[in-house]
Amino acid sequence: MTTALTSTSATGSKAGVDLLRIVRINEEIKSVVGVAFKINIMALNAIFLAKRAGTAARGFGVLSNELRVFSQDLRDCMASLTGLIHGCVNEVSLVLQDIRHTRLLREAVELAPTPQISRVLAAREIENDRHSARLASLRKQLKRALEDAFQMVELGGVLAKSAKIEAAYGQSFAIPLAQVSGEFDGVVEEIRSSLESLRRSAFFVGN
Amino acid sequence: MKTTKTIFQDGNHKWVAIVRDPQKPNFLIDTNEYLVTHGGQGLLLDPGGAEIFPAVFSALSSEFDPSALAGVFASHQDPDICSSLALWLEFNPQMRCYVSWLWGSFIPHFGGTAETFVTIPDEGADISLDGLILRAVPAHYLHSSGNFNLYDKIAKVLFSGDVGAALLPPGEDGLFVENFDAHIRHAEGFHKRWMGSNEAKRRWCERVAQMDVDMLCPQHGAIYQGADVQRFINWFDELQVGIVAA
Repeated sequence: MTTALTSTSATGSKAGVDLLRIVRINEEIKSVVGVAFKINIMALNAIFLAKRAGTAARGFGVLSNELRVFSQDLRDCMASLTGLIHGCVNEVSLVLQDIRHTRLLREAVELAPTPQISRVLAAREIENDRHSARLASLRKQLKRALEDAFQMVELGGVLAKSAKIEAAYGQSFAIPLAQVSGEFDGVVEEIRSSLESLRRSAFFVGN
Repeated sequence: MKTTKTIFQDGNHKWVAIVRDPQKPNFLIDTNEYLVTHGGQGLLLDPGGAEIFPAVFSALSSEFDPSALAGVFASHQDPDICSSLALWLEFNPQMRCYVSWLWGSFIPHFGGTAETFVTIPDEGADISLDGLILRAVPAHYLHSSGNFNLYDKIAKVLFSGDVGAALLPPGEDGLFVENFDAHIRHAEGFHKRWMGSNEAKRRWCERVAQMDVDMLCPQHGAIYQGADVQRFINWFDELQVGIVAA
């Protein structure tokens, strides 16, 4: 049997560090969710502006609609990431608890090496392996979901840049449309930068 | 590792004190655990904190088959009383935990399921251990608001939890009180601060004075035996408790 957890303090401190990293990822995701909501409001304002600009801003209106859909998709994606993060927090917490119990059971086996307590320790180690495997699986799912979110933000970036181009055709509305599309672009860049830093998190790269 | 000392034996009816671990770090308060056995079963009284589980388990194993433990008795809810509960239950999930009804939904934070806990009403209850009747005797507010001692009228032993506890200095850690006057100095500060009610203390003294007790076994410190049991009751009855200078 492979034992994912050892009784060393290094393992405990790694799980503690993992928990801290997950908490930070969660905070970053919360900020992205806030920004995604801001895009939704911005897109709604842009749609009204495009309506007022009439035919000159038809293309811009289409893109604003797409950005609104993008904002909703992004929020859904973040909700799923949040669910995965909560799963990871739960598993890492269990791993921390496992580490303590395993350490104490090992000490008991060393002091009183009876078959019964050895069986309890073996069962504990199987449970530890299960928690570690579940955490590894959640970590992979989270990484994949983050990649999906990143691809989505790439599309959002393209939409924002296209909106900037369309704004130039807005005739008398060109300046306010350019301002709105510039804000879109800025916000999408902000999200991209947040997701970039999440992708680099040591929780995923395993440092 | 802790040591075990049989303090009462009549056939397979035994009281075993599990005490004094030289390897225990000083920042953990020293605790006494007691094992009562009768027939083929055992009941562990105040099984101790999680950090001392290995020491208690190994000492107990040297004396008794731990898989024959029917349950644990928790005098109250403190971490040094029963934060090891999850580990004992990991060893034997069928084990029961007897505890005041007041803590029936608090102690599960240490571990266990709904089936684990057998709650004791305020007036006390009998606990059967393979035919031996042990009596959970009320000791509320001494110090916990839901607190029980455990009395074995056959052995004439009263497990008194924190009542009678003493914080012994290094080198004065004998299992039994040998010089009452010297010993009680180490108990005074503890009782003045930890025990919250003079009325509760008076009731306990009246109740226990009527019981036939050969040994009064606290969770910290040394065991009172013989005439020292009554000396302790008298001393405690006189002591003003629940006083803080601040």
